[in-house]
Amino acid sequence: MTELQEAMKALAGPEGPSDDRAGGGRAPGRAPGRAPGRSPGRSESQGTGRGVTSDLTIDETLLLHSIGWEPVDMVFGVAWWSIPWGVWQWQTGEVTEASTAFAGAMAEAADELRAECAQAGGSGVVGVTVDIRVTAHHMDVSLSGTAVRRVGAAKVGFEFISDLSARDFVLLTQAGWWPLGLAAGASFVIAPRRSAREWAGQQGQNVELPNLTQALYQAREGAMARMQESGQAMQAEGVVRVKMREGPLGRGSRVMQFVSVGTAVHLRDGRHRLVNPAMVVTLDDPAPEFAAESLRGGG
Amino acid sequence: MSPDEQPVAADDAGAPDGGDTGGPPVALPPDASRRLAELEDRPGHKGMFTSDLSVNEFLLVKEAGFHPLGFVMGSSIYHLGIQTRRWSQSQELAKLTEAMYNARELAMNRMDAEAMELGADGVVGVRLDVNYYEWGSDTAEFIALGTAVKAEDGRSYRNNQGKPFSSDLSGQDFWTLMQTGHVPLGLVMGTCVYHIAHRGLGQTLRTAGQNTELPNFTQALYEARELAMTRMQDEANALDATGIVGVRLEEKSHMWGDHTIEFLSLGTAVAKTDGEHTIPVPHAIISLDG
Repeated sequence: MTELQEAMKALAGPEGPSDDRAGGGRAPGRAPGRAPGRSPGRSESQGTGRGVTSDLTIDETLLLHSIGWEPVDMVFGVAWWSIPWGVWQWQTGEVTEASTAFAGAMAEAADELRAECAQAGGSGVVGVTVDIRVTAHHMDVSLSGTAVRRVGAAKVGFEFISDLSARDFVLLTQAGWWPLGLAAGASFVIAPRRSAREWAGQQGQNVELPNLTQALYQAREGAMARMQESGQAMQAEGVVRVKMREGPLGRGSRVMQFVSVGTAVHLRDGRHRLVNPAMVVTLDDPAPEFAAESLRGGG
Repeated sequence: MSPDEQPVAADDAGAPDGGDTGGPPVALPPDASRRLAELEDRPGHKGMFTSDLSVNEFLLVKEAGFHPLGFVMGSSIYHLGIQTRRWSQSQELAKLTEAMYNARELAMNRMDAEAMELGADGVVGVRLDVNYYEWGSDTAEFIALGTAVKAEDGRSYRNNQGKPFSSDLSGQDFWTLMQTGHVPLGLVMGTCVYHIAHRGLGQTLRTAGQNTELPNFTQALYEARELAMTRMQDEANALDATGIVGVRLEEKSHMWGDHTIEFLSLGTAVAKTDGEHTIPVPHAIISLDG
């Protein structure tokens, strides 16, 4: 049997395609009214002929199989934390209530994701979508991804959460690096107002605005430092693909936000393996690069 | 404003006629120094790296013999001055050019200072962005970010100004460049804010319904582009570069209205290293994905 056939067979689940979906739609545990993230029904159905649910593409699934892993189920983790009244109005400097709420919500959502993954029989979650929403009164973090495990592995311990795609996961592991978890940090800083004299003095001038620059710096350093700390707490050797969101919170706001999230990684056996890439020229037709709008300064 | 109110020491580099990208060393804000110190290995403390490189880029940077050290950034929120423009005259707006130079250099020097603090040989994947917010019509945030890297073979890749090289090449381009026996020296740029004259009534009437070139517009755009490109080349010459790769020319009106345009050219200055390099013949492939 070719590798492809094997992979396709594995895709269909341990006992061939399941008729579970045709009959009752979703797994029983998905019924509304159950506590979110604690869906015993799903895990019970796992390994008893139920098919695999995953948002991975066919390519990604095949790639996973090529290194001996398989998707198990889609898993979620959501946490809402409230932010006390008035913290955005009556102070300048860092709003610690908001960054604490972020750290709490992030940890809680990750715990929930981990619990769902363990219940589904997975040992890690790849392709996690991180959705962070900050409003005046609450901080929402929702994580969703695909639980994966080694092919045929029985109950194994939980290993990692990663927002890298399955493709990146395969590449990373081939080079000897393994994901550990999501490293994240956030900071919200309210910039002081300029005095009327400062404002008047700056009109018509080429000058830097120190109050705003400083607030942005403070927010950034706070968030990056927390992200590093959370990575170091996982014994990581690095954080890759850091994504950040920076700038004012809402239009015209003096609140500077900085949120950064990345995947903490470590070198499993202490040795980096080169991937020896080959140079290729694709013969596909290139996408048109010239855009007439650019001449009008539209961007 | 007392000097200690500023996040970093003011920097007066960046005259509109380009040239030296140097300037006095920039002091880092204490928060930044603390964060960067956490990244470094020291007895009893294990360091780590942070990076916004994708996994592909990360592996290619490793492949090229470099190790990422940290995600470095610099930013400046800047108030742009005002300059009067003559309705019927094409001219460079020196004050605005200066502002665009100054603000970008503040951001880039701060990024470089963070990279120096980490002992980096270079910064790859540099992005330069300008964001506009609602605080005021003439206020913009200039930001420079990238990943500081260090050579694993212990060689120094710093440029002739003793600074880490910066490059806006992606990890993929960086690896390919190194394969061809070139090293990046620095991110070079030239900018020119130009006011393009309106046409007079007479001119408009004469050209109505005609197939004709509009020489004043053509000339103005030409001149502005040439100024920006020349300034970029001057910066590259100051680095003893043998070439500039990946040049992009951006033309933006920002917030100045129709007839005022900033021409920004950006690229990575490179130099050929000693020694022969044979470039492997690339395989031709047809990818089957849409």
